[in-house]
Amino acid sequence: MAYNELIKNYEKIRSFLRDFYVFGFRGRGDYTEKSGRSYDDERRRIESWMGEHTYSRKDPDGKKTFISIDSRVSSHNPLYNSLKAKSFTDGDITLHFILMDILFFSDRSLCLGDITDKIYSDYLGKFDDPAFFDDSTVRKKLKEYVDEGLIKMEKRGKTAYYSRTEEIQDTLSLISQDALDFFSEVSPCGVVGSFLLDKFPKRDSCITFKHHYITHAPDSEILCRLFEAIGQKHCVIITNKGKRSSTPADSVITPLKIYASVQNGRQYLLAYHHESRQINTYRIDYIKSVTRGEPSPYFDSQKKKLSELESYVWGVNVIMLHGAPRLEHVEFTVRAEHYEEYIVNRLQREKRCGTVEQVSENIWKFSADVFDTYELVTWIRTFICRITSLSFSNKLLENQFKSDILEMARQYGIEIPENGDVADPKKTEGQA
Amino acid sequence: MNLFSELYGAYYNTVAKLIAAAIRSPLTDEMIRKIIAEEAFSESEATIFSAIKEQRWQIIDPDGGTAIQNTPTMPLTTLEKRWLKAISLDPRLRLFGDIFPELSDVEPLFTPDDYRIVDRYADGDSYQSEEYATNFRVILSALKLGAPLRITYQREGRPEVEHILVPTSLEYSEKDDKFRLIGDFRGKAMTLNLGKITECRIYDGELPPQTPSEEPLSQCVVLEILNEHNALERVLLHFAHFRKQAEQLDNNRYKLTLWYDRGDETEMVIRVLSFGSRVKVIQPDEFVGLIKERIQKQLTYHI
Repeated sequence: MAYNELIKNYEKIRSFLRDFYVFGFRGRGDYTEKSGRSYDDERRRIESWMGEHTYSRKDPDGKKTFISIDSRVSSHNPLYNSLKAKSFTDGDITLHFILMDILFFSDRSLCLGDITDKIYSDYLGKFDDPAFFDDSTVRKKLKEYVDEGLIKMEKRGKTAYYSRTEEIQDTLSLISQDALDFFSEVSPCGVVGSFLLDKFPKRDSCITFKHHYITHAPDSEILCRLFEAIGQKHCVIITNKGKRSSTPADSVITPLKIYASVQNGRQYLLAYHHESRQINTYRIDYIKSVTRGEPSPYFDSQKKKLSELESYVWGVNVIMLHGAPRLEHVEFTVRAEHYEEYIVNRLQREKRCGTVEQVSENIWKFSADVFDTYELVTWIRTFICRITSLSFSNKLLENQFKSDILEMARQYGIEIPENGDVADPKKTEGQA
Repeated sequence: MNLFSELYGAYYNTVAKLIAAAIRSPLTDEMIRKIIAEEAFSESEATIFSAIKEQRWQIIDPDGGTAIQNTPTMPLTTLEKRWLKAISLDPRLRLFGDIFPELSDVEPLFTPDDYRIVDRYADGDSYQSEEYATNFRVILSALKLGAPLRITYQREGRPEVEHILVPTSLEYSEKDDKFRLIGDFRGKAMTLNLGKITECRIYDGELPPQTPSEEPLSQCVVLEILNEHNALERVLLHFAHFRKQAEQLDNNRYKLTLWYDRGDETEMVIRVLSFGSRVKVIQPDEFVGLIKERIQKQLTYHI
């Protein structure tokens, strides 16, 4: 089949986009699951959609194409372009503009026969070989547009009449371009805001972003389907391919809530798993498809249960044992001099649960009961240079944490003392 | 309700622009190519141009005119309305002064109860404050006008100070949940937290003498990642928002080069530290020194 930069099935490109953007060191030879030609086609598409954001370099083992974006400089998420590349037929695009024109005035409603007649009489006469749209094709397209909310249908007797939905006539006055610049980047399913922005004249945005993760864009369609299910309290069948599984597996679940990180860009679904009868966590970028099921009898009770458990969730994991929360205790102390109030502020503003208390003049203690101690480890490490004590009920993790500090010292060639100081504490004044 | 739909696609938007232009006057080949280049993807020209010229898309006539009578518009789809309704529930919307009364009978795509940011800092800006919203709008106006601002600013425990600066952008951090005003103050970039601005007005007096603005200093750090416990993916996702380049060194080791603003060095140090021994700083030596200093200090506590 000839190359086309548009695609029918988004799932095919999702993993390529992620690889090119997040990893960026893989080349043609690394994609053993796909044919070389498939890789070449996907690479070419991504280069076309992403334009200036794609780069390539030559390694001894071949050319590596990657996407690199400084999201502090780029005000709009370039990965959204991939969601504006759905393929269509010649008939689709021709019918679209003709139908929108025939029904331009929302107070004009026409029956199928009138619409089909007009297509020929008013629009296709000048072409050498006019396209042919039978009643069935036009009816199908009208139904599709009724489903999307572009057209409404009303029955008069046995005849269906079609008109454009009572348009919120002027999108441009409904919401400001500034608000769309902002929410298209920070809101879930922000690509919809990007679709709306395309209706406005192009201009540079006044709003820029720091710590801005754009990785979630290729997951927008999956997220949208999950939100629909949550809103309607429906169960769904998801096809999921976790990190450790070699093949995708189907699960029947009731989606409850989306959790997202603004410190790594990952998005998760917390859902009630019907077979195991527990709340599980699923990474949304691992979900391949979502098929809507029946209304769920579990939604209300499990959502209530989740909200009761949330005070113990540091990251995204909920761990139950025999129906009760399986909690672990975490505590550590840090030293903050009297002029280092910002360290105490950091503890206060960065903690997601638990408490912070002053235990002596310069020592502050954080403690919490959480589902998963492992989720706190990266945060606690950010206080390295001032952690004066540390105690986890999960002793395995506690020992790992402590030995990892020694491993870091070895990595940098720092002598590990038997006892005694190796550094002048005053040298660390003013450290965050 | 499909999100991945040609209705929102670059091709439909481009063709809408072509039709709008053709309604005004017949299109030449040059005009068609120009509009495609402006609106679609870099490789779209051949496809769109030939589809029109070969009369496969029977919307633009062979003579460059069109039978379409009205400049193409499309009603909001259900998906767009439901997303807008969801946005209307966000407290930050009031900063922009937007309200959506027409959407009263629309179900939101999601509500605040359906979505949780797990790691946002707790001391975000106060979007309910009238003073904050007013300052936000004044800054936004000034940015569009290119006008200077007179700003009264108060850090905690310090007296108010006044600045006159030319705003260059409003920067939002999702992690901090704060807006910052970036401006040019006598040739130097200045960053002010919106939450600490007590008063803000467009300044119509004479500007202090301006010197050419300095570009923010970009700094590079080279990391070596040991891919144990999925560290590679965790590190690459965490630093995904920077300009970066990754290379594989051997089966289990990877090199990551990142470019960041020099002013964020302390933040970068603690972000690198958060990955423990799985990430080692290779270059530059000054950055290596900062990491070593912290580890050395930590060892004195004998935890």
